[in-house]
Amino acid sequence: MSGLALQNVVKEFGAFRAVNNVDLTVPHGTFVCMLGPSGCGKTTLLRMIAGLDLPTGGAIRLDGEDITRLPTHKRNLGMVFQSLALFPHLTVGENIAYPLRIRGAAKEDQKKRVDELLAMIHLSGYADRPVAKLSGGQRQRVAIARALSISPKLFLLDEPLSALDAKLREAMQVELRQLQQKLGITTIVVTHDQREAMTMADTVVVMSGGEIRQAASPIEIYRRPADSFVADFIGQTNLLEVQADSAGRAEVLGQAIPGLALPAGANKGTLSVRPEDVHLTAPGAGALTGKVTFVRDLGGTIETFVDIAGHQIVAVSTPRARPDVTVGQEVGIALTPDVCVVLKK
Amino acid sequence: MRREPPQSLGDYLPLLFPAAMLTIFFVVPFGTMIAVSFFQRQQGGFYTPAFVFDNYARFLSVFFGGVLGFSLMLAIIVAICCVVLALPFTYMLTRMARKVQVVWLVALLSILSLSEVIIGFAWSTLFSRTAGITNILVALGIMEQAKALTPSFGAVLTGMVYQAFPYTVLVLFPALVRLDPTLTEAARTLGASPLRAFFTVVVPALRNTITATLIMVFIFALGSYLLPQLLGRPQHWTLSVLITDQAIYQSNMPFAAAMAVFLVLVTLGLVALTVIAGRKGEAA
Amino acid sequence: MITTSIKRRTLLGAGLAGASMLAMPSILRAQDKSLKVGVYGGYFKDSFDKNIFPEFTKATGIAVESIAEPTGEAWLVQLEQAARAGQAPADVSMMSQVAMLKGQSTDLWTPLDTAKIKNASNLLDRFVNKYPDGRIAGIGAVSWYITLVTNTDVYKEAPTSWTAFWDPANADKLGLLALVSNSFLLEVTAKTFFGGTNALDTEEGLLKAFDKLAEVKPNVRLWYRDEAQFEQSLKSGEIPMGQYYHDVTGLAAADGHPVRSTFPKEGGIQDSGCWALSRASQKSEEAHIFIDYMCQPSIQATLSRKVGTSPTVKREVTDLTDKEFAAVSSDIEPIVPRYDLYQTKSDWLNQKWTELIVG
Repeated sequence: MSGLALQNVVKEFGAFRAVNNVDLTVPHGTFVCMLGPSGCGKTTLLRMIAGLDLPTGGAIRLDGEDITRLPTHKRNLGMVFQSLALFPHLTVGENIAYPLRIRGAAKEDQKKRVDELLAMIHLSGYADRPVAKLSGGQRQRVAIARALSISPKLFLLDEPLSALDAKLREAMQVELRQLQQKLGITTIVVTHDQREAMTMADTVVVMSGGEIRQAASPIEIYRRPADSFVADFIGQTNLLEVQADSAGRAEVLGQAIPGLALPAGANKGTLSVRPEDVHLTAPGAGALTGKVTFVRDLGGTIETFVDIAGHQIVAVSTPRARPDVTVGQEVGIALTPDVCVVLKK
Repeated sequence: MRREPPQSLGDYLPLLFPAAMLTIFFVVPFGTMIAVSFFQRQQGGFYTPAFVFDNYARFLSVFFGGVLGFSLMLAIIVAICCVVLALPFTYMLTRMARKVQVVWLVALLSILSLSEVIIGFAWSTLFSRTAGITNILVALGIMEQAKALTPSFGAVLTGMVYQAFPYTVLVLFPALVRLDPTLTEAARTLGASPLRAFFTVVVPALRNTITATLIMVFIFALGSYLLPQLLGRPQHWTLSVLITDQAIYQSNMPFAAAMAVFLVLVTLGLVALTVIAGRKGEAA
Repeated sequence: MITTSIKRRTLLGAGLAGASMLAMPSILRAQDKSLKVGVYGGYFKDSFDKNIFPEFTKATGIAVESIAEPTGEAWLVQLEQAARAGQAPADVSMMSQVAMLKGQSTDLWTPLDTAKIKNASNLLDRFVNKYPDGRIAGIGAVSWYITLVTNTDVYKEAPTSWTAFWDPANADKLGLLALVSNSFLLEVTAKTFFGGTNALDTEEGLLKAFDKLAEVKPNVRLWYRDEAQFEQSLKSGEIPMGQYYHDVTGLAAADGHPVRSTFPKEGGIQDSGCWALSRASQKSEEAHIFIDYMCQPSIQATLSRKVGTSPTVKREVTDLTDKEFAAVSSDIEPIVPRYDLYQTKSDWLNQKWTELIVG
């Protein structure tokens, strides 16, 4: 099978289990973002894929070959570190040529490849500069070029854009995704920035507590979160308790939602409704009624905070698609079954 | 943040104390030494103020040239041995657990507290025929008969490297701790074995530190005068031994001062050359 | 440093003198009855403070203030500079023979009057240090021997001659003193091979001795400055032969170490120190009493027993038993170092010597 496969991978540091029985398949050419709060095990997982840490248990396969115990330098991969780890004593060109030099490539070939890569990262003519003289974005690109200079089977990036300012980061996200698509290289990025993950990834892997909570396409993760952690972690959401009434209909805050059903056999659950799916109506016209407690008008969108029996629900709407309400006013909230996701308990 | 240059005389006050100390404890003694090196020696422990070059003239001979050459060579070899041994050692040390580091550093500091005499005696016992390490080799059946390893050049070198090793580690340690550990990890992901990563990344990235350490150990080793006596034959005596002889046993201060001044000048010259060579290497 | 301390002492002295003139004359008398004596710091000073000075004060009523002398010739330099300023850091000092000669050249030593030192008649001639014109510059204080020492485990038979140093069978086995001026090996060479130390009178004779001595080099394992280093190696048999102090070796043997000291047939090397009186001293009377006291056979015998020095007086006037005498000395005519050479030719000898052993 072509691609990367993690099978039951476990990593323990003493008594602490950093990665717990992770199974993941990354088909060749896929862009995967591992997303999660700090300490969720995503970086450890990446380091095990790179061979910088050895798994306590399980296996890692690349294109069918077991590389679990293969030393890092024999894995033919490219990796970009959070610190970038550019070699301070080498020039831009020498940094990019380093993997080629280590593999004994001829001088002319090294130079040719360096020029190609510099052109690719829009830094032609920078080969002889010391890395210390580059801007943050330029250093970032050099680190990427260096990791790609041997055309690796696997391209790993650990929080690669975290040192850049917001604008540059957004631009680099697009650039990185385009580069990956052009090269068709299997890429795994570790990040804690969900926007970054949503921008770049074919597959987002949400991790928490050393385990994978969900691995799916960004839109599916957003639309169909597997559990309340994923729903809450990815974007904003309103989480509401839902239970079945005596007739088996789903009931939220004491109000029946017509057309919504709980999974078979369950009589309790959590409902996730994205703020942009919450529609405000006249009081009594929706399924629920509450009081407006706060309005955040951001110009492009308006966030309305509604209190229903002690529960807060946020609605995000464009100015035109929203009744004109002010704080203290009673509003109705329409919940249609198609925007409600019932999560496993 | 901008630092204000000192405005009034009062702002210079904090500088006065170190400046005075430097003058009293370094400039004045060194100046005295230079002055004495030109004084007229009178046999019998006396000298009269004068301005003669006799003392330098006496030094400029094949004999003293040979001793000076040997001293410099010995110090250079000691410096190289120390750095070659200490660099990988310190590198590993910085990657160990904090507790292990503390134990090692305390052990090294305790070696520093040993005087040259104790180090010399300890090694001369370890290298002796009657109580030395060769007896262990004999007991293990590796050697036929115990033999003395001292006095010899190897013994002098061992003693001096042992003495300078803790200094070397302590000088290298901060630089290696500051070295970004992801540099070697990056090198490994890029295809370098750990050994190769050490030589292609750690060593070159620390080039300036290594040069500074070599110079420091070199100068430190140049001043050694007890170990060559305790562990070496007379041909392994350094210029410092002869300076001590002249100053203490022959009461020939002018000649001792002249030799010391010469040694300082040659040392400064070598250090300057090293620094210039280092600059050139960087520019190229 | 020296000048400031002298200044302070001058001031202090002047102040005391002024005060004492006004005060009772008994203080003056008490001051008269004291003597500052310089002794080599360390072992000698400790031994003298314990065994000699209290008895002297009891016998004569003269209080002794003992002063530790620094090693080398620093003390000579200090005495000389102080004397120029009319000061005496010590009245009587124990001086090495080379320092005696150097002091003579500047008339540093007050000539001693043997009429006031009746015990001087007991002295062996070589312990009376004279100016070239015959005035007496110093009187022997202590003497000691450097002999041929061996480890008894390695050498079952004691060697009998210094020629053992030249024996090819002893390759890499010797420990010798590292300096020309404390090993006295030129004298040993001259006495052993060239008929006596007079052979060193000429530069030619000295060069011949150096050449002969060069043959010893392959036999030398250690040229030592530090006595402890050689003593340790001798005891362990690591370096089983060499030159060392007779009395210290005897003590080590008595402690059960396998070492022995042998007086070779050519004689042991006898080094010594003199009592000399600084010309700046005002205590000539007391000094003569002190030196006379020290020349008594009984005191010399006490020194031999307690300090381990060889008597400066004729053996027959002492009450030392054969065993006691053998512990510190020998009847074999000693090799007396040519101290004059170390005064007149010291730099030349040092250069030749260093080239010999280092080259």
